[in-house]
Amino acid sequence: MTHRHLWAIFALMLGLFSLVPSTSAHGYLVRAIPENRAVLDRAPTRVQYWFSEGLEAQFSTINIRDQQGNILASGGVSETDASLLTARLPNDLPDGAYVVELRPAFASDGHVYAESRVFFIGEAIGGIDIRTDTTAIPLEVFWRFLAVGASLVLFGTLALYGWVLLPAWGNKTHKAGWLPPRLMNRLHALIGFSLLVGFIGNGLALIQQTMIFFNIPFDQALQPQFWELVRVGSRFGDVWMWRMGLMSLLGAMFVATLIYQKRYPEVVYPFWIAGLWVGALIIGTFSIVSHAAGALTIAWVGVFVDWTHGLGVAVWVGGLFALMLCLPVALAPYPNDQRLSATRAVVNRFSAVAIGAVAVVIASGVYSASNWIYGTEELQSSFGGALIAKVVMILPLLGIGGLNHLLAHPEQYARLRKWVNPRLTHFIRITRIEVLLASAVLIAACTLSATPIPTPAFIQSETQTPSAIQQIGDMTVSMSISPGGTGVNTFDIALARGDVAISDADVVMINSSPSADTRRDVHISEPIDGGVYVSAGAEIDHEGVWWSSVNITENGVTQRVAFAWTINADAGVIVSLPPTPIQLLALGGVFGAVSFALSPIVRRRIKKMGMNTFTVSFAVAATLLTIFALVIGWQVMENAQRQYLATLNPPPVVINPTLPTQESLNLGEALFNDVCVAWHNTRDFDELVSRLNRTRDETLYSAFIDGWRDLPPCARDVALEARWDMVNYIRGWQLQTP
Amino acid sequence: MQFFVLAHGALGIWDELIFLGVAVLFLIFMAVSWVRSRAIPPTIEDTPMPDDISADKSHFRLD
Repeated sequence: MTHRHLWAIFALMLGLFSLVPSTSAHGYLVRAIPENRAVLDRAPTRVQYWFSEGLEAQFSTINIRDQQGNILASGGVSETDASLLTARLPNDLPDGAYVVELRPAFASDGHVYAESRVFFIGEAIGGIDIRTDTTAIPLEVFWRFLAVGASLVLFGTLALYGWVLLPAWGNKTHKAGWLPPRLMNRLHALIGFSLLVGFIGNGLALIQQTMIFFNIPFDQALQPQFWELVRVGSRFGDVWMWRMGLMSLLGAMFVATLIYQKRYPEVVYPFWIAGLWVGALIIGTFSIVSHAAGALTIAWVGVFVDWTHGLGVAVWVGGLFALMLCLPVALAPYPNDQRLSATRAVVNRFSAVAIGAVAVVIASGVYSASNWIYGTEELQSSFGGALIAKVVMILPLLGIGGLNHLLAHPEQYARLRKWVNPRLTHFIRITRIEVLLASAVLIAACTLSATPIPTPAFIQSETQTPSAIQQIGDMTVSMSISPGGTGVNTFDIALARGDVAISDADVVMINSSPSADTRRDVHISEPIDGGVYVSAGAEIDHEGVWWSSVNITENGVTQRVAFAWTINADAGVIVSLPPTPIQLLALGGVFGAVSFALSPIVRRRIKKMGMNTFTVSFAVAATLLTIFALVIGWQVMENAQRQYLATLNPPPVVINPTLPTQESLNLGEALFNDVCVAWHNTRDFDELVSRLNRTRDETLYSAFIDGWRDLPPCARDVALEARWDMVNYIRGWQLQTP
Repeated sequence: MQFFVLAHGALGIWDELIFLGVAVLFLIFMAVSWVRSRAIPPTIEDTPMPDDISADKSHFRLD
């Protein structure tokens, strides 16, 4: 096969990959209020956009423009929820179309993308052009190729030295690294070159990140006042600093090796072995800011699996690259027949290591893909296309690796001797093809890293934000819960008398679930412009019917409105998902592959330690039993915690069926003053009122029927429904003394 | 003022601790392997090259 053929294969693979459209963002929008192209009757008080990951507060922005392009309002990341971009809108927005410009910067990997959404007040207007910026950033793919590629070659070279070259070619006469000086020089040059490329790649990474954070051109991003802020003020910058620090440490170790190798040749080997740990950490810094850090399913596991994937690729591809560059130098002094023998010795060793690495790469790759691919819909996305292209490009690489293994072990494949007749030129050519293919796969992997993860189909369903309007006297009370699902919600209450907003009222509110009969803290709603009062909380923790009791005090007069909601978990913002059976299976595969890859090392250790079958079996059994005991212990603790909570809040025997409206409170007050006179001005009644925040409705109900401490029963003759009005009346005191 | 080292709490309240723990662990391993490999040289087969160069040997002493 000629060089022309090799380059043709390389170009073909790149061409295949270029068919995949690529964009430059990670994370996705999981909930929008208002929804895109929503037509609203009245102006919302604020706009809210929840994303699948936390955002960089300093670099995420949101602007609202009118049809003329004027910026009406700006906002940023919510102080209480790092994944929420929100902005308050001005009062009394006129009918028309409004464009929301979103620019989230994801904390997990520093990616930024621009997206526009539109909503209408009054009626929808045609011809509004919304902009979604999903153009590719070639510079990101380029720096990733340099920085990631250099890290892979660094770790691959270190691993190749310790696990392949030393056992295959070691020579005790060469004390400086136990390999001939010509080969050690080549390895040192490889490390030096990788570090240099790595530093250049990381420098470009910081500039490119600055460009997208500030939305500025390359030359402007070179100014220190911009990139310095990204370096010290973002998660990307933190991880970048760690990576540069670790690369500097590795660089310092190798400079020390070069300086002292003549005076103290025995220190060369320790530096190379120690460097392996630093190389692994450098690869780990890419995992911290990878797709995996934003996974909905146990992000920690995703990050560590991604790290394992990187290490496997480094051993396989990085080691292959280093081997290709070392072979000519190592074999130069030998005649052809000895070259073949030397090559087979090293390829034998590398083949064994590479098989383990490939197993780890495949298993960890399947797990990582399962974080984002839930079905065929996701496979049809840009990410799915990029993933398929990467897999297609890996297949021939695996095939050629298999061929290399075959050539290295002709005695194991005697039946194929007719076709398998290894010659030195075969090894060299095949290794070159492998390296070219691996380079193409690396570009594919880097582009995949810069491709947005697909938004899962189950997140794209639009749900209605619960909202309701009530009239009390001449006052109109509007309330909405956003997003209206289980989890954190904001509670907006708007007050108006006719067309005039009421801005000088005191508004307190409490949410309760009648079926669970649990009490939470009272919200003191914060007034904002336009007669809107807002608060937030996470007390809505299950689906079903919830009540919001709102007390509005105006000029010393308090009035009550109550809202009943049916909360649907689908409306909640999904922040995590339990592992699917496929993910658990893939995770088991990762453990299996890592165990397989490490088994030769473990076996050697066991051999060195002189252990016999019994002691090893005993140790393995003890380890498994310990893990089993830990898992069981964890389960027992979880169950105990659940039972404790259930004991504290058992399901109520009687459930309050009466919404605590002003009418219910009035009825309850009249009855209470009529039949429970004996309770008035007693110490026990004061005590009961003081503990309302932890007293359930059924306890109040029971107090009326059976008495409480020295308070006598007083409502036995009262109709069943009316007793609940009395409960609601007493409960209302909680809002008067928050 | 909050002091962030790596993860900003993006992966939970313990992320800083876990990341730093892993980094410290690896750096300790680095130091230990340096000391160990300084004290114990690698086990290298030191057999001269075989007469039959076509024999399948897993070690070839490179001169």
